[in-house]
Amino acid sequence: MAFSTTVSQRKHIKRKAPRGFLKRVFKRQKPHLRLETSGDLLVHLNCLLFVHRLAEETRMNAFENKCGVIKKEHVQAAAKVILKKSRG
Amino acid sequence: MAEAMADSYNGDSEPTTRTLLRRVLDTADTRTPRRRRSARVGAQKALLETPSSRRLSSPTKMNVRRHSHRVRSIGRLAHVHTSGNVEEQTPRTLLKNILLTAPESSIMRPESVVKPVPTPQVVQSSRRDSSRGSLELQLPELEPPTTLALGLLAPGRRKQRLRLSVFQQGMDQGLPLSQEPRGNASASSLTSSLNLTFATPLQPQSVQRPGLARRPPTRRAVDVGAFLQDLRDTSLALASPDPGKPAELLAGKAKKVDAHAVSFPNNSSAISGEDGVEPLQDGVDEEAEERMEESLSVSEVMDTTGTQGSVRTEKSKRHREMSEAVEAKEPEGSSGDEDISGRRASPELASSTTEFLQARQPQFLEPALPPSTAVLSSEPLEPLPTRLPPRARTPGPRPRQDPHKTGLSHYVKLFSFYAKMPMEKKALEMVEKCLDKYFQHLCDDLEVFAAHAGRKTVKPEDLELLMRRQGLVNDQVSLHVLVERYLPLEYRQLLIPCAFSGNSVFPAQ
Repeated sequence: MAFSTTVSQRKHIKRKAPRGFLKRVFKRQKPHLRLETSGDLLVHLNCLLFVHRLAEETRMNAFENKCGVIKKEHVQAAAKVILKKSRG
Repeated sequence: MAEAMADSYNGDSEPTTRTLLRRVLDTADTRTPRRRRSARVGAQKALLETPSSRRLSSPTKMNVRRHSHRVRSIGRLAHVHTSGNVEEQTPRTLLKNILLTAPESSIMRPESVVKPVPTPQVVQSSRRDSSRGSLELQLPELEPPTTLALGLLAPGRRKQRLRLSVFQQGMDQGLPLSQEPRGNASASSLTSSLNLTFATPLQPQSVQRPGLARRPPTRRAVDVGAFLQDLRDTSLALASPDPGKPAELLAGKAKKVDAHAVSFPNNSSAISGEDGVEPLQDGVDEEAEERMEESLSVSEVMDTTGTQGSVRTEKSKRHREMSEAVEAKEPEGSSGDEDISGRRASPELASSTTEFLQARQPQFLEPALPPSTAVLSSEPLEPLPTRLPPRARTPGPRPRQDPHKTGLSHYVKLFSFYAKMPMEKKALEMVEKCLDKYFQHLCDDLEVFAAHAGRKTVKPEDLELLMRRQGLVNDQVSLHVLVERYLPLEYRQLLIPCAFSGNSVFPAQ
């Protein structure tokens, strides 16, 4: 059921969440705030979804330009859209 | 018919070339037996009459095949029917000779078909020879291969070697080698087994074909003693800095790149670089020795050029070439290696020259020497100087950025995985920037939500609210659904409360 159970590519994606990294980033940004234990897992989930959406959008842009390779412009255009969506 | 007879052949304990040849010899006489000795004599006489007669009359490949068929079907002909009725040069006599001369050897026999192969080969080869007189001379050559081939035909891995050795032997004896590679020991096809497959697996290819052998790379050891001697000679010469000497001293200093310690005078442009290298005299280091030896000649070359620019260009050139030549072990003093080792010294020389050129203080020449020597003595023996050249870089901001980058790279890899398409490097960098911005937005939003709830700690409810506002979580799709979809089991268990036995829920709410 999960999207990420099967990895068909030869490079296996790590399923671990970089919890230390996330905590460090949050601390650096908002030192006066605290992040809960399970919170960073949800942050990781949020990141996954963000990256997923970004990748989809980028792929669509690349297809529209009939490019076989993802270029910087595709990423930029996609990022604008997705970041606007993720603003909350 | 032949196959049926071949089946009977299986099961022998240890048929050898000798026994096979015996059988071959016996066929002409006794009409080789089919099964065992008891059953043989009568039945097979008729069978073998025709092939044997054919064999004697017109030697052809077909006869050999039939003959080998018979041979294989024979089974264990232990009895020796040495019929001496045929004394002329016939395959039988040749085989007899083989039998007499071939050593008794037991052969590992994975497949029965393997064994009969050499005998027909021998027969074939003998027939092929134009001059019969040379047959006997050549047959002994074939013996060792035949005996060895039997043991080695089985492993399929040796096929390549078999073919080659067979080829070699064929070349030696002028045999046609068309059938040679076909020596597959397959019991099913008898004809294929007839092909020449004997080989000399034990003989290395280099014995027969020297050109085919792989020679180990010749490495000349470095003469440490001679090098140290030269090192001391150059150090002695250090005391009197004159244009000629620094070139020699360069060799000694080449290894140690202590550009900072050596702020050197630049009496002359040519000397400056060399003088700077002087105090870099190193201790005992084999590679350093090599470099010294070679940089000696190099420095001499530099002397002749006599200009800074030329020195620099030389060094830079050598520097470039050095990287390639680093691994090679070079003997002392060889001209070819001198350049290489000189190139090794070049990065240090280059860095030192730049330093020296900037310094331009003649009076520092002598005071620089003692501190440099002190530096040299204090410095531990360093490995290749090739790693040293880029010394100007300061390691300041690097550790700051790296963990951040490595953490982001995790998500960048995920991006490339989700994209399923090849990406440019610039696109990946763009993704990194996007992620940075995203994290900033995320933290701001969480702060706002926590402040709205009057808290200073960000809780999972804040995260859920964020995802709801982003549109990821709605009435149809709840947070738990997303958790189950995207996170691995360990995290799911932590996030989704689950009821366990004993009226307990984990994680507790």
